[in-house]
Amino acid sequence: MAAGTADAVEFQPGMRRRRIRWRRYIGLSVPALIALVVLIAGVFAELLQTHDPEFIDLAARLAPPVFDGGTWAHPLGTDELGRDIYSRLLHGARVSLIVVGIVVPGAALFGTLIGLVSGWVGGMTGQILMRVVDLQLALPAILFAVLMASLVGPSLTNVIVILLFWTWPSYSRLVRADVLSLRERDFVTASRAVGAAPTWIMRKHLLPNVLNTIVIVMTLEVALVVLAEAALSFLSVGVPPGTSSWGRMITEGRDTMNVAWWPIWLPGLTLLIISLTGNLMGDWLRDALDPRLRNLR
Amino acid sequence: MQFWNYLIIRLIQAIFVTLLVVTIVFFVSRLVGNPEETMLPPLVTSTEDKERFRELLGLNDPLHVQYGNFLLDLGKGDFGTSWRGGGTSTLDSIGDRALNTVKLGVAGVVFALALAVPLGIIAALRRGTTVDWLARFVAVIGQATPSFWLGLMMIFFFSVQLGWFPTGGAEEGFRSLILPAIALGLFELVAIMRLTRSGMIEVMDTDFVRTARAKGLSERTVIWRHGVRHALLPVVTMLGLSLGRLIGGTVIIEMVFAWPGVGRLIIDSILKNDFPMVQASIIVLAASIALVNLFVDVSYRFIDPRIRAGAA
Repeated sequence: MAAGTADAVEFQPGMRRRRIRWRRYIGLSVPALIALVVLIAGVFAELLQTHDPEFIDLAARLAPPVFDGGTWAHPLGTDELGRDIYSRLLHGARVSLIVVGIVVPGAALFGTLIGLVSGWVGGMTGQILMRVVDLQLALPAILFAVLMASLVGPSLTNVIVILLFWTWPSYSRLVRADVLSLRERDFVTASRAVGAAPTWIMRKHLLPNVLNTIVIVMTLEVALVVLAEAALSFLSVGVPPGTSSWGRMITEGRDTMNVAWWPIWLPGLTLLIISLTGNLMGDWLRDALDPRLRNLR
Repeated sequence: MQFWNYLIIRLIQAIFVTLLVVTIVFFVSRLVGNPEETMLPPLVTSTEDKERFRELLGLNDPLHVQYGNFLLDLGKGDFGTSWRGGGTSTLDSIGDRALNTVKLGVAGVVFALALAVPLGIIAALRRGTTVDWLARFVAVIGQATPSFWLGLMMIFFFSVQLGWFPTGGAEEGFRSLILPAIALGLFELVAIMRLTRSGMIEVMDTDFVRTARAKGLSERTVIWRHGVRHALLPVVTMLGLSLGRLIGGTVIIEMVFAWPGVGRLIIDSILKNDFPMVQASIIVLAASIALVNLFVDVSYRFIDPRIRAGAA
């Protein structure tokens, strides 16, 4: 009987609801904290740095990090040119933030617009738009990056343009699929029947209904974009030399891989953690907002 | 008859996509590039020489004339001449390298399939157990790991420290192929495993699986004949769709492992300012992707009877 009363106490409705609501957000707290750290690191890089990230100090080359026998002069050690890895990581965060901050919202905006229009208008126009969307599948972004780099040299603008070009079709495809089923729904028919303009229907009926999908895809795209920028920079078709990008740091660290682990491990681990963070946040959002998107990627 | 109509339509679409890529490559390169600046030594070249150079390459013709000539040459199978290496045909150089890229791509997919499908099936059948948990852990980490960094780390541990595999190149045949294939296949592995797992979970809940069990089929028959066959359909689609990503991945992995494929040829050509070579490689790659996508679409009709019967 004693056990029964204990149960009764535990299942008081108010308590239960509060506990579950709190637990729901545990999964989000760690990734959100990491995201906040990266944001602060990137925005306040100049204030947080201990050295100029591009300052070459050959006397201090390949100094180990402080937890591997180094000194606090270079908390995370230095690379083969004596540049401070901690400061370079901070500025690398800024590059990633700039790229993500422009590419993800930009692609979402454009992709959603194309998806809305091609789903709503349908017919020949819709078909043509979708063929353009399919181009993404036929042409790897990397080839375009390579083409641009060979023509105008590597630059941050290149990276942004290419990644924008490459990522918007994902939004279009999903939004179009949603719109195709939404347009048959009663509330849309009703709205058309009373003479609403297509732009009104798109804004008031379609957009709010595809917003969840867009937000989830945006979160999942963050990791993809960060990794893509790193990969392009690694191939030296991304940001130009003399810029601290995590991808570039890995390229530069590979020559000294056999004698010093930190120049290649630290940016690599940073990348891994950041993309893990993006994916976990995306997964969490998807489960919270729209579980049917489970097979998105 | 319906099949032939479908095939013709898809063929036209594939040609259209390839043509579009060719056009983009042409216009981007003509509008953005400035060959006389990149090709000729900057300070010692006189303006007249630059002008002669432009005339020689036909860069002074109107754009539509250049475009026409470009297409005509492509039609004749002339993809241009390399600016380096004594004027070899670009197509010949690509042909030499293409086989290596195909080898790497196939090895990557085989590696991914061989691990992902069994793992996905087991994870679905034993939902909530250690195996399932392990599979999901691998999926989360695998999806977040930059492939080029993983490649470098594997070279460091397995080639430099342990000496099990060569550090790069393709000289040692199969042994050279193992590490690049793993680095290339990891991302696909994760995607395939997730799809297999969720597909299996879904299909094992369906009525026809319940019926199969009810009529007394052995669990093995139920899983393989009714479950797996069904769950693998989306995997085939995804493999077809991920081809572009795979080829993009090959470029990176080839650079990491010094693998002599088309991807490395492209990057090397950029560093050497060999523009015709870059252009030809991109066109060849895009055309092969279009062709394989066509093949996947058509073969899908044979795998999934519903599509054959439907209006598609």
